[in-house]
Amino acid sequence: MSDELKSSNSQPPDAEPKASRSPAPVWIIVLTLVLLFFGAVYFDHHSGWFDKQVYSPYASTEELASYQPKSGQASLLSRGRAVYETVCGICHGNDGLGKPAQAPPLAGAEWVVKDVASLARIPLAGLNGPIQVAGKDWNLSMAPMGAGLSDADLAAVLTYIRESWGNKSGAVSVDEVKAVRAAISGSSPSAADLAKMTPVERGHAVFQKYGCFQCHGQDAKGGVSNANAKTAEQVPGLLYVADGYTKDELKVFIRRGERNIPKLNPAGPEPPHFMPQWGPIIKDSELDDLATYLFSLKPKGENPGF
Amino acid sequence: MPMNAKFATVLLGAAALALVVARVTRADDQQPDAETKARIDKYEQGPATIDVSKYPQGIQDNYEVFSQKCAQCHKLSRPINCDYVLPDEWSRYVKRMMHKPGSGIDSAAGKKIYEFLVYDSSVRKKAMLDEKLAKATAQDKTDAEAKIKEVHDKYDNK
Repeated sequence: MSDELKSSNSQPPDAEPKASRSPAPVWIIVLTLVLLFFGAVYFDHHSGWFDKQVYSPYASTEELASYQPKSGQASLLSRGRAVYETVCGICHGNDGLGKPAQAPPLAGAEWVVKDVASLARIPLAGLNGPIQVAGKDWNLSMAPMGAGLSDADLAAVLTYIRESWGNKSGAVSVDEVKAVRAAISGSSPSAADLAKMTPVERGHAVFQKYGCFQCHGQDAKGGVSNANAKTAEQVPGLLYVADGYTKDELKVFIRRGERNIPKLNPAGPEPPHFMPQWGPIIKDSELDDLATYLFSLKPKGENPGF
Repeated sequence: MPMNAKFATVLLGAAALALVVARVTRADDQQPDAETKARIDKYEQGPATIDVSKYPQGIQDNYEVFSQKCAQCHKLSRPINCDYVLPDEWSRYVKRMMHKPGSGIDSAAGKKIYEFLVYDSSVRKKAMLDEKLAKATAQDKTDAEAKIKEVHDKYDNK
């Protein structure tokens, strides 16, 4: 009898515990506010608006050293790295390992560690056709992406390439780059020549200088093979850009480039050629002349409409 | 001291906001054409067909050419929902596509596609067209209207 009464009045021993709504204790709120206030006041007095000159302890002597003015090879390397990651890294990778079917590796590549003259030729004159890099065959085409760089920047980037990712083949001097550039540009117009030319002629010189012909064909007529590209496996010709673009649209396109080339067979490989991003390389005046040249290519006397 | 506390709280809030803003701007910097991609994505999510039953027969025929040729390379919803409406915009873009190797669009087909797009823009996207015409220079507006009229004269009531 007494057992029955007990069980009906009290909860069964295995009942689920229940959570109920109860306000957070006032002291926690007060403590949080006090801490927040203390933190904020501390922040006010000690942050110095994040200005390094006010208060910024160095974590190590290496860090401190990195802020010192640089001289010699160290400055060359950091400058070279900046140029590399803006211009070369897009294809060859910031890790120097290249991209399959797009750009060979530079880490451990015999072309990099070989003599300076043949290395410097590549960014200055471009490189076309089959080569072997680190035991693998490559058959691509690289535009002279370094033609627009100064001798000092080019020397820095070549030094960086020769001294990174396990490569140890020594620095490249500005004079060496100058010599190679002079050897290559024997036929290219001097500044005095350029000043006498019409914009179309200057634009044609720009077209040659940056090796646009390597992909778009001599005289921009197209026909260069680009395996598995939707555009009939070819790099498009440029004879009709005047119909398809305003000059401003064309300049924006050249500056940005086009990394993603649509594939003919979606399951097939990436087409090897794409439009490089010329924005960081080409000068504004060169781009104006190039656009003028490209606009002049449209065959005369053709029906202007469709 | 209470003044200082107020300032400190505002400072904290501002710092948090600045961090968020810095993050967002940075993300933008890394993708220069993210805006273009987002715009195209938005167009492509729209309808992929046009009800052309009320258009003249000739324009309906041209719609067939448009559907068949343009869908070879991109979704039809892209041109259908995009903000091109002026004859010059269409002429430029059709020619740009037409001159790609392997497009299979000759100048006769290109013209049909152009006429369809100009006609369609003047009917279905009329509000957008009027807005652009209102912003154009007097000369551009006259030229555009003449080109639109030319297409309408060719196909209307035939």
